[in-house]
Amino acid sequence: MGLDRLGRLLWEYRDALLSGIWVTIELAFIAMLIAMVVGLVACFGSLSRSRIVSAPAILFIEFCRNTPILVQLVWVHFAWPELLGLKFTAWTSAMIALALQSSGYLAEEFRAGIESIDKGQIEASQSLGMTYTRLMAFIVVPQAFIRMIPGILNQFVTCFKSTSIVSIIAVPDLMYQAQLIVTATFLPMPVYTVVALIYFLMVFGVSVGVRHLTRLLPNFGYFTERKEAPAA
Amino acid sequence: MSTSTGEPIKIEALRKRFGALEVLNGIDIDIPGGKTVGVIGPSGSGKSTLVRCINHLEPIQGGRIAVGSSGAVITARGVESGGRVLGQRDIACYRAQIGMVFQSFNLFPHLTVIGNIVAAPVGVLKRDKKEMIDKGMDLLGKVNLQDKAKTYPAHLSGGQQQRVAIVRALMMDPKVMLFDEPTSALDPELTGEVLKVIAELAVRGRTSIIVTHELAFARDIADTIVFMDNGRIVEAGTPAEVLDAPRMDRTKAFIGKMI
Repeated sequence: MGLDRLGRLLWEYRDALLSGIWVTIELAFIAMLIAMVVGLVACFGSLSRSRIVSAPAILFIEFCRNTPILVQLVWVHFAWPELLGLKFTAWTSAMIALALQSSGYLAEEFRAGIESIDKGQIEASQSLGMTYTRLMAFIVVPQAFIRMIPGILNQFVTCFKSTSIVSIIAVPDLMYQAQLIVTATFLPMPVYTVVALIYFLMVFGVSVGVRHLTRLLPNFGYFTERKEAPAA
Repeated sequence: MSTSTGEPIKIEALRKRFGALEVLNGIDIDIPGGKTVGVIGPSGSGKSTLVRCINHLEPIQGGRIAVGSSGAVITARGVESGGRVLGQRDIACYRAQIGMVFQSFNLFPHLTVIGNIVAAPVGVLKRDKKEMIDKGMDLLGKVNLQDKAKTYPAHLSGGQQQRVAIVRALMMDPKVMLFDEPTSALDPELTGEVLKVIAELAVRGRTSIIVTHELAFARDIADTIVFMDNGRIVEAGTPAEVLDAPRMDRTKAFIGKMI
C-alpha cells in the first residue's frame, strides 16, 4: 500500500480517528482523577486502626486489583443494572470500570508511599503537638506524594492502555473507531498499524513528559543526596 | 523568650515492657522545676525509652509520670487528667508543652529551615505567622544559622540540622526539654557546636532531661546525673558524686570504660 493511499485513507477518516482519540484521552484522564480520589480514601481506610473501617477498604482494594479489567467492565455494564439497580450508559460504565481498576492499584501505591516515610517524621510531628490528621496532611502525605509520582505515572499509563478494551461495550474510543474503519475498508493492516502508533505516541509522550517533570524536582532542593546519619 | 522557670517532672515506679522484655523496671525520678538531669548508661539500659515515655511516644505499663502543674498524668491507661483518659487532641496539647530533640534530628525534608521552625507554632498553637518568622529568625541567629533560613535540611551538615531541630523545639516555648542522645549521630567535630547550643540556649529556664554519652558535657550541664542499667536506676546524684566518686561497682565499671 502506497503512502499516498494511506494518507488519503487517514484523511478520509480523520474525524472518526480524532473523536476516538479524544474519547480515549477523556476516559483515561477522568478515570484517573476519580481513581486518585477514591484510591486516597481507600488508602486511609485501609490504614485505619478500626477494623470496621479497614476491612471493607482492604476488601475493596483487593477486589479492584485482583479482577481483570475486562471482567470488571462487563460486570459493571451488564451486572450492575440487575445487582444494584444501577444502569449506566456505556461511556459511564467504562469510566467506572477503569476508575475501579486504577483506584485499587493507586490505593496500594499511596499506602506504600505513606508507609515508606520514616517513623521519626511522625514522632517529631507528634512531639510538636500535631494531631494525626495534621501530621498526615502537612508532613507525611506531602513527602509521600513525591515518592508516589513514578507509581502514579505507571498507573496512568496502564489506565490509558486499558481504555482500548472499552470498545467491546461500544464506547466510541480510538480502538472502536479503528474497528469501524476496518469493517468499512477491509484494510486491517494499515489501520491497526496506524492506531498502534497513535497509542504508542500518546503514552510515550505522557511518560517522557512526566519523567522530565520529576527530574526537575531536585531543583526545588528536596531530592538531593541526603547525608544519612550513621546507625546508632 | 519564655519567662517560665520550668515545670517539675515527677516519675514514680515507671514500668515499660516491649512484649515480654522489661525495658523500664520501676523508675523513680523527681526533678524540680528548672533543673537539668543527665541520664547516662550503656546501650539497651532503657534511657532513650525513659525520655520517650515522658511525652507519650511510648505508652507505659505501670507507674505514673507527671509533668508540671497542668494536671495531666501519664499512666498505664494513657494520658489522664482528673481521672479522665484524654483523647488524641488533648494528648497533642500535652506533647506541645514538651520539647524533644532526637538523635536523628528528624527535620521535615520537604520544608525549608524556616518552614520547619514555624510549622508547629503556626499550625498547632495558632500563633501569627509573621511574628513566628521573626522569632524564628531571632533564634536562628542565636545558633548562627540565620543565613540558612531558606535552605532545605538536605543541604545542611548534621550539626546544623540538629541546631535547627533544637530551635524548632524551642519555638513552642516548652516548659520541659527532652534530649535523646542529641549528638550520637554526629561526626565528633560537629558535636561541640550542638552541645554549646544546648548548654547556652536550650536548657536555660527549663526543666531538661538529656540522655547522652558525653560524660564531660553531662558533668558541666547537669544538676543531677542518673546512671541507668537494665531498666533500673543504679545510682543518682550530683555529677561529682556519680562521675568522680561512684558508689556502685556497675557505675564504676561503666565510667571506667567511657574515659
